[in-house]
Amino acid sequence: MKKGTSDPAIEVENLSIRYGAITAVGSVSFTVNQGEQLTLLGPSGCGKTSTLRAVAGLERPTGGTIKIGGRTMYDAAKGINLAAEERGLSMVFQSYAIWPHMTVFDNVAYGLRVRKESGAALKEKVHHALDLVHMSAYADRNASQLSGGQQQRVALARACAFSPTVLLFDEPLSNLDAKLRAEMRIELRELQHRLKVTALYVTHDLEEALAMSDRIVVMRAGNIEQSGTPLEIYNHPRTAFVADFVGSANLINGRVMDEQLGEGLVAIEADGGNKLHGVTLGRVPGPTPAMSLRTVHLHLSNQPPAHSNNVWPVRVKRAVFLGDLTQIHVAWGGRELVVRQTAATTFTEGQTAYLSIAPEHCVLLEPE
Amino acid sequence: MDTSAQHPPSATGQMISLQSAIMAAVIVVVAAFVLYPIYYLLQASLDVGVADVRPPTAYGFDNFAALPGYSTIMWNTLVVTFVATIMALIFGFLTAWILTRTNVPFQRTLEQLMAVPYYVTPLLGALAWSFLGAPESGFINQLWRRFGGEGALIDITSPMGIAWVMALFEGSVAFVMIGAVMKSMDPSLEEASQVIGASRWRTMLRVTLPLVAPGVLGAAIFVFAEMLGSFSAALVLGTPARFYVITTAIYQLVSQYPPRMPLAAAMGVSLFAVMFLMLYFYRRITSRRSYVTISGKAFRPRVMDVGWLRWVLFAVCVTYLLLSVFLPIATLVFASVQKLAVAFPAPENFTLDNFRQALSLNAVRSAMGNSIILGLLTATIGVILTGLLSWMIQRSRLPGRGVLEYIVMFPQAVPRLVFAFGMMWAWLVFPIPIYGTFWVLLIAYLTVFLPLGVRTISSVIMQLDRSLDECGQVCGASWGYRLTSITMPLLRPGLLAAWLLIFVASVRELGASILLMGPNSKVMTPAIVEAWFSSSSELTAAMALIQTIVIGLAMLIFLSITRRAARLEG
Amino acid sequence: MYAVKEDALQGVENVQEPKVSKTTTRRDALKVGLAIAALPFTGATGGPAAAQDRPVTKVLDFTTGADIAKAEQEGEFLFYTHDGEPAAAGIIEAFGKDFPKIKGKYVRAQNGSLFSKILAERSANRFNVDVIQFSEPATAIDFQKRGGYTRYVSPQVSAYAPEHLSNPVGDYFWVGVTFAGIAYNTDKVKPADAPKSWKDLLNPLWLNGVNVKQSNSGTQFVQWYELRKLYGDGFWKEFAKLRPRGFDSRVQLFDRLAKGDDKVCALAEYAGYLLHKEKGAPIAFVAPEDGLPASQLLNGVVDKAPHPEAARLFVDWLMSNRGQTHYQNNPYLYYGSVRKDAPPMPGGKRLKDFKLLSPTDMDAYSASRDTFNKEWNGMLGL
Repeated sequence: MKKGTSDPAIEVENLSIRYGAITAVGSVSFTVNQGEQLTLLGPSGCGKTSTLRAVAGLERPTGGTIKIGGRTMYDAAKGINLAAEERGLSMVFQSYAIWPHMTVFDNVAYGLRVRKESGAALKEKVHHALDLVHMSAYADRNASQLSGGQQQRVALARACAFSPTVLLFDEPLSNLDAKLRAEMRIELRELQHRLKVTALYVTHDLEEALAMSDRIVVMRAGNIEQSGTPLEIYNHPRTAFVADFVGSANLINGRVMDEQLGEGLVAIEADGGNKLHGVTLGRVPGPTPAMSLRTVHLHLSNQPPAHSNNVWPVRVKRAVFLGDLTQIHVAWGGRELVVRQTAATTFTEGQTAYLSIAPEHCVLLEPE
Repeated sequence: MDTSAQHPPSATGQMISLQSAIMAAVIVVVAAFVLYPIYYLLQASLDVGVADVRPPTAYGFDNFAALPGYSTIMWNTLVVTFVATIMALIFGFLTAWILTRTNVPFQRTLEQLMAVPYYVTPLLGALAWSFLGAPESGFINQLWRRFGGEGALIDITSPMGIAWVMALFEGSVAFVMIGAVMKSMDPSLEEASQVIGASRWRTMLRVTLPLVAPGVLGAAIFVFAEMLGSFSAALVLGTPARFYVITTAIYQLVSQYPPRMPLAAAMGVSLFAVMFLMLYFYRRITSRRSYVTISGKAFRPRVMDVGWLRWVLFAVCVTYLLLSVFLPIATLVFASVQKLAVAFPAPENFTLDNFRQALSLNAVRSAMGNSIILGLLTATIGVILTGLLSWMIQRSRLPGRGVLEYIVMFPQAVPRLVFAFGMMWAWLVFPIPIYGTFWVLLIAYLTVFLPLGVRTISSVIMQLDRSLDECGQVCGASWGYRLTSITMPLLRPGLLAAWLLIFVASVRELGASILLMGPNSKVMTPAIVEAWFSSSSELTAAMALIQTIVIGLAMLIFLSITRRAARLEG
Repeated sequence: MYAVKEDALQGVENVQEPKVSKTTTRRDALKVGLAIAALPFTGATGGPAAAQDRPVTKVLDFTTGADIAKAEQEGEFLFYTHDGEPAAAGIIEAFGKDFPKIKGKYVRAQNGSLFSKILAERSANRFNVDVIQFSEPATAIDFQKRGGYTRYVSPQVSAYAPEHLSNPVGDYFWVGVTFAGIAYNTDKVKPADAPKSWKDLLNPLWLNGVNVKQSNSGTQFVQWYELRKLYGDGFWKEFAKLRPRGFDSRVQLFDRLAKGDDKVCALAEYAGYLLHKEKGAPIAFVAPEDGLPASQLLNGVVDKAPHPEAARLFVDWLMSNRGQTHYQNNPYLYYGSVRKDAPPMPGGKRLKDFKLLSPTDMDAYSASRDTFNKEWNGMLGL
């Protein structure tokens, strides 16, 4: 990696992609710093994959600029559009794209051979890459004889083998089973740290995004909905869409109460009549403000808590045992709220309990 | 991490232009090969001036206006072609499925034999079946009467009989095309269906068939067009029953004096409409869905265990081969050693004269060499050309690539007998003097077999997951490098199938060769047809057998070379 | 018309080029109209003058007006013919045995295709053909009108009757004659039913059992023309009711007859009969008293021939008894020779022994072509 340069590894500015009359990506801008892992998160059809493919050079955008390591890869105004093979990137595909007619070794060696590596150096680099993913023993296997997880690892080794500075991932784990996915998540993260590679990662899986990213860009219908660190995204969703998509949240609509609170605090009367305090995070409430309350931030107890703000007596409607957590549905101001907490206390249906939440976990959302 | 490895070699800029250069060259070549003769063909179809004066002295639509007079023939043609196409597809799909997806016994041997009907030329097939099934003299009918039957058991000269013979031999093209597609299909797609309890039969109909639909449709279009332009079967079998199709009618029009080329050209041109309609539907159907079955998720080629049914399926294949290869060839052998072929020959009727005569014909010997060399060249260049073309049509973002696909189908739409005139006029006035040489035949063959190659290779490309190529691209590989390291090896079965089909098609080519052969560039099949016209069916049988043996040997050599090459690589 | 002027013939006997006025040629050319003007035909006018003082030499056992040394220097020639591959190869081979230094080459195609092909080549200024042979006179006359031939009066013309040569002499000649009677399958037809005259062809017994040739056959055209002249229009209309089957070659006709697929062959060329009789086919040939329709094959040197001397030598050879014998004896040809001193054909008969019917009024004959094509194609279900 080039030391001493402060250029972000990837700069995307006002990128737009249209297919005929359909706009896949409306003006999107973001930057990925060197050594950072940025994840594009969103439901299918939100334009995240198109964006990634545009960065890779596999998709021709209709507007904007893309710079990688300071080099302009695409510039609509200047008519620059470098082909994918000239961008010097690397990518892991959703389908792995393992070439079935080659051995594992040949698959991994491909990028190196393109770069005119040969002989001992080539061998060493391939084995180093295979070591990273614990696949050295399979070097001579035919690619068509591998299991899904093994193909995944080979795809990863292939992408890393020629020491690229920027790695692109297109939902690389979506074809794996849950357990393997959880393992690979950690491995991928470690690998990325070890190689200090810049990564642009696309997924629709929240956990994956939260676990692996330095920063997350949530996309919706071709536009960026919110970007920030996983904690920011999780704790302070900007819109109802992000709150809902990024983990389970209770959304509460109401009206602002004329109540003087401290700096950054707001009081809202929910539609059912309950009053709650929350944080504004500098956002200005609209005429019908909404708040996001994460299910895990709500607390249900048999005894009323000591503080008096944001405490309501509620009736337990249903309790579902989920293992580590219990999901409890409670009646609250004419509607239902979902609470998730550890199963330390048990609740029976129909009993009354006390629901509470810290005001800093009641996040005022921006009006849509 | 060092910076030197960051970017691929800077030569990539040049490689991009190499790609565009090659693509441009392919377009120019295809346009010249196809549109240049088409121009002359259109000109001829509008020629209402003094006969046989070029360029035409007057233009008009009289030739097209005369076409309704031939509506019976057009209708005959469509009926026979349609029925034959359906039959050929059933033969082709069934045998392809059996041989690629099930554990039928002797699979390898059967598969190799399946290509044989295609190089048993249609003429040979028609001849053999007319020996077998002519209402009066057919061996089968003679046998039938000897054992007390009345009249004729089968009549191969009926429209259904003609369709049967055409389907029998075209079925193996369908087999090769559909088989190439099936071979590269992920078996887990079928297994998924079986696991949820669907029967094998249901799996074949509901999963296999739709998945290979583009391949089947591609084959259907090709086979339909091929039969629309097929000549031999209708000539040998149809004329005795006073049954004419477009090609036999055209043959009469151009071989009589005064030759009625303009009318024949109009007939040929009007067939464009039929072909384009079919192609339009094909494109509509295939563009609506994705047919990617070769994905980066590598699969193990596996076959279905069909239990005792395997012997039934084996019998199906053997029956097909019996009807399309063994029986016709045995018949021809039997006929070729007689002076006058009959079912119950007297001992003095046997002779080897036919073979002696066939081998002594100088023309035949040199023509055979030319045919083989032309076949090799056409197949090799043709695979490269049609491979690039298919890639451009299926994978490039080239504007107007849809148009390219239509252009490519032109030569298939017109019977070669007519298209040959277009090519003759075109290459005659071409400034570089290639007319009358070996090279004009090569160009003609490359032109008329464009559709064959494109159909075969396109079906396989369609199944290739794009990310396999894209991954190579992101790895920094240039277009040419990717082509040789990824695309071509993955397309190997398709390319091989295309090579064999084109090779055989070239060697058995008749319609275009008759007109374009020069004194130093004689080829084989016209000589055989000549023999049929001017000497005897028995001598023709002998010549056709010799041709079949030579083609067979050439293919065996080619296959063993490619197999050895594959083994060296692998 | 084949009325050749007496003085022209005398000129022939003296091995002198007849005085052909240039205007005749011009008039012929003008007939075809404006369009033809575009065709290069200048050679036709230059030819005769050049041939005028040709010395005659004897080679092997025939005389030729060609310069043999030059011909051998040219070393090759190209022959276009309607005949089949083996037939053409046989002719070239036989000639090559006599003149090993001259390599003959050939291209063959059906008569109509051949005509289109050579005209297309000529209109593209490509002159590569030396000698051409058509299968029927209307084609040759048309080709002559378009200035396709170069005039060469062979010393061999003395052995031919004027009606067997082009008018004017020197464009083409009758290289052979094929003639047809009736043939029937002796297993399928009882002797009492056997046809004896052309009229017997109309016997309803032959319904769905009689075969003829397609309209592209010159012989078929002649038969239609001659029998119509003899028996009137009604003859063929009556014949059509038998639903005859049409084929492209005599071999097909006799193949089917021999195997019993058809009972009677209405256009039984003697050549085909000989070929199949040899194989032991159960067939019989009938030569109706009224005569046998005969069609000639016409052969001549092409204008702007790139190898003119070799072409002349080849034509002289063809006209001589050497070539004529080959045409009579090659089983792919078996054409009868119209040479006055022609040897007998295989089977012992000479062409003279048959009463032949050939059109004499070539204009009327050519003019009826369209009527024939229409009637014949309609009759055959085309």
